[in-house]
Amino acid sequence: MPSRTGSHSPAGTGKSLPERGLLLLMVLVLLEGSVLPLGAASSPDISHQKNVDNHKVEHEKNYTKKAFPVLDLDYHHIQTPFEISLWVLLASVMKLGFHMIPRLPGIVPESCLLITVGLLVGGLIKLAGEKVPPVLDSQLFFLCLLPPIILDAGYFLPIRPFMENLGTILMFAVVGTLWNAFFIGGLLYAVCQIQPANPSELHQLEILPCLLFGSIISAVDPVAVLAVFEEIHINELLHILVFGESLLNDAVTVVLYHLFEEYSAAGTVTVLDGFLGIISFLVVSLGGILVGAIYGILTAFTSRFTSHTRVIEPLFVFVYSYMAYLSAEMFHLSGIMALIACGAVMRPYVEANISHKSHTTIKYFLKMWSSVSETLIFIFLGVATVDGPHHWNWTFVTVTVILCLVSRVIGVVGLTCVINKFRIVKLTTKDQFIVAYGGMRGAIAFSLGFLLKKEQFPMREMFLTAIITVIFFTVFVQGMTIKPLVELLAVKKKQEAKRSINEEIHTQFLDHLLTGIEDICGHYGHHHWKDKLNRFNKKYVKKCLIAGERSKEPQLIAFYHKMEMKQAIDLVESGGGVNLPSAVPSTVSMQNIQPKKPPPAKPVEKALPKMTKGREEEIRQILRSNLQKTRQRLRSYNRHTLVADPYEDGFSELLIKKQKMIELEKKIQHMNNYLTVPAAPPDSPTMCRARLASDPQAYSSKPAADRVPTIQVDLASPQSPDSVNLMDEFRRADQQEEDQGLMMKPPSGQSGPNRPREEDRGREQQKMTRCLSDPGPSADEEEEDEPFLP
Amino acid sequence: MGFNGTSPLLDQRGELRPEDFGAIRELSMNPIGDRIISAFFSPGKETVDFASFVRILAHFHPTETSRSRDGVQPEPANSRTRKLKFAFQLYDQDRDGKISREELLQVLRTMLEMQVTEEQLQSIAERAIQEADLDQDDAISFDEFRKSLEKVDIDHKMSIRFLS
Repeated sequence: MPSRTGSHSPAGTGKSLPERGLLLLMVLVLLEGSVLPLGAASSPDISHQKNVDNHKVEHEKNYTKKAFPVLDLDYHHIQTPFEISLWVLLASVMKLGFHMIPRLPGIVPESCLLITVGLLVGGLIKLAGEKVPPVLDSQLFFLCLLPPIILDAGYFLPIRPFMENLGTILMFAVVGTLWNAFFIGGLLYAVCQIQPANPSELHQLEILPCLLFGSIISAVDPVAVLAVFEEIHINELLHILVFGESLLNDAVTVVLYHLFEEYSAAGTVTVLDGFLGIISFLVVSLGGILVGAIYGILTAFTSRFTSHTRVIEPLFVFVYSYMAYLSAEMFHLSGIMALIACGAVMRPYVEANISHKSHTTIKYFLKMWSSVSETLIFIFLGVATVDGPHHWNWTFVTVTVILCLVSRVIGVVGLTCVINKFRIVKLTTKDQFIVAYGGMRGAIAFSLGFLLKKEQFPMREMFLTAIITVIFFTVFVQGMTIKPLVELLAVKKKQEAKRSINEEIHTQFLDHLLTGIEDICGHYGHHHWKDKLNRFNKKYVKKCLIAGERSKEPQLIAFYHKMEMKQAIDLVESGGGVNLPSAVPSTVSMQNIQPKKPPPAKPVEKALPKMTKGREEEIRQILRSNLQKTRQRLRSYNRHTLVADPYEDGFSELLIKKQKMIELEKKIQHMNNYLTVPAAPPDSPTMCRARLASDPQAYSSKPAADRVPTIQVDLASPQSPDSVNLMDEFRRADQQEEDQGLMMKPPSGQSGPNRPREEDRGREQQKMTRCLSDPGPSADEEEEDEPFLP
Repeated sequence: MGFNGTSPLLDQRGELRPEDFGAIRELSMNPIGDRIISAFFSPGKETVDFASFVRILAHFHPTETSRSRDGVQPEPANSRTRKLKFAFQLYDQDRDGKISREELLQVLRTMLEMQVTEEQLQSIAERAIQEADLDQDDAISFDEFRKSLEKVDIDHKMSIRFLS
């Protein structure tokens, strides 16, 4: 990314106080009259402030004793943070507001709405006579608004599809962007030179500024792509293609931008410069990735030692990633690629090391920040549009828009012809159309244009106008129509369901199989290298970067643990308090309730002892009383340690119980549909935009539909601490040896046939430690079922 | 190291034996290497000739989607079903058409290579069968196998770009 030395003053200086008050009042109106402390800033108090200032001045001079100012107003003191908070609040409230309007989110993508809001706000500010703050200040944009989005994308990048399609993505990103830049730039120059008889301002445009403009406008923007594609839920392949392209073309953009900017003063570019440009490209991209990877490994290594300071674990992730970005920017390398590399590299190891809560924290914070950032970016885009300065030139703008479309289409089609020769699964015409249509431009292009210096580029305003027009066109027209088009063309949609253990086993099996076949053929293909990487990872890297026992845990086991844990928590949540038979964490048999289907004769695991109704009642009582208690327990914490994480300690027993509850669950589901009231259907895409894996309100459970509940559970649900404490409670309640697992209180009549099995389980659970997501670097299953990215 | 490189004796015999496969170093590191090797040999035979070798490898040719489907022609070796069938047979060593719990356990054992306890293996196998077993016979038939993999892109996954 180009240097961020913006020469723009920070927002809001130099306004007089009464006007400031008036402006803020209007913003308040926009915020639906929410009562903010800003009420104090309305006009009457402003004069009070002046008086106080005067008083203070006098006070210093003559020390005349005045009345002590009981209530004082000092706006300047807090001005900057206050305005920032106001903007953020505005963005968030807008987001809320959209979802209250009934059908709007389905038709209009959120980005459009946000830009409109930005336009409104900008208009209001201008009407008030104020100078619109240069909110899309490049410094602010590149250093504060962009990194969270990119980090979020990189951390949750689905590695497997990304790597599998890496060649295609690179082709689109590098070759496609180059083609776009030169095509647009060149043809624009040609068009500008037409009409020799009629010398217009366009004739002043040299070839190099044209090429510069072309390179700015040609890059597909990750923010815009994310915002739009998220709502249309297309299949993973297309999503990763377009999104990957938008991420990787950053390097190309950086190099081209710098190249043309440097030399547009000189006026010519020689072959040597071109050659240096290519080298520079390699340096920028590979250097960025290297910087990111180094920081990623540092983070992973640091997280190995955080077992005693769990509270600050998320901080490491965020700070190291941000530093990776800044370091890359410092050397003018590609910051975006650094962030992506950092997130992708650190993720498997960090997740194996950090606690469950930290994992949730990281996820939520990333989603939150990226969501706010994105909202702010679009609003600011609207505000900046109003700001101008604009210079509308019909020819230039329309030709730009048309050329963008045309070059994109030609580029995609042409490249696909070449790419398809090397792909196993070819890209169909429908795919190509979506890829071409999904090439949105966004705020990055605008910011780059904004960075241009007026002295060097007299046509800067014309450029900016054209950029904004293209952005508006892509976001509004393409963004709004892509959803109906996807429906119309019946493009394959994203598959929602989770991976089952079967898929995982068989996929691994097939991996081995294919590696073996490749070895027999002597063909060193995809699987061969993946296998080598896996071996290297297992042998050396994991030992360094993952703490303790987890480093030896095979991926399949980790996956299995994760699934079991999710299921366990789900069962506890759904069963806790209401339908107790299923929440009974012990060796309860349902045989007396479900007489229809005798459980098949199986090894020890399925032979559950019987239990009478009376016993059940007692259990219910115990559960109820304990549930009361647990809710009051999680009260105190100090900032340095969390309450001993129940997940880590009592979890292993949890697993055992849940094992049995799976069977109970199945049988119960057959009986009736008593299971929890299905949660409200998933909210609008924006809720999904937060990309929470499964907020309990945001998914609908499928009762009785599946044999095995493979429901995704939000592990950060507020219920879970309580639920798990429930288990903790039980554990405490019965004072048996922990090894033996939980025997129900009263313990009579339970022990006999269970003991041997419980001991078995006991041994098993020693090894089953805390279950987090898979540590394998190359086979991350999709964690959320919302659009990826996690 | 293709067919012709696997054995110096090849020119003379034109056939492969299990030992020749064993000479491939990476294959011996592969957890299911010996299963793969035995898949090349028809039950009872000790050698595999070039034609059979190629027939097996043909399963891994990329699927052609544009091929017209007339039910008359026998299904091509690299169709999705045939690929899956090949994989299925690697699980199903006794060739009874089902993957029993014991066979699944064996596969898991070889893949996980002594890093897990027996109980963990049992529970994984248990869960896998629970998920996939639709007709409740405590084993995974080919259809159930296919169904559990319906979301996986087998055409892509089980294809190698060669012989094209």
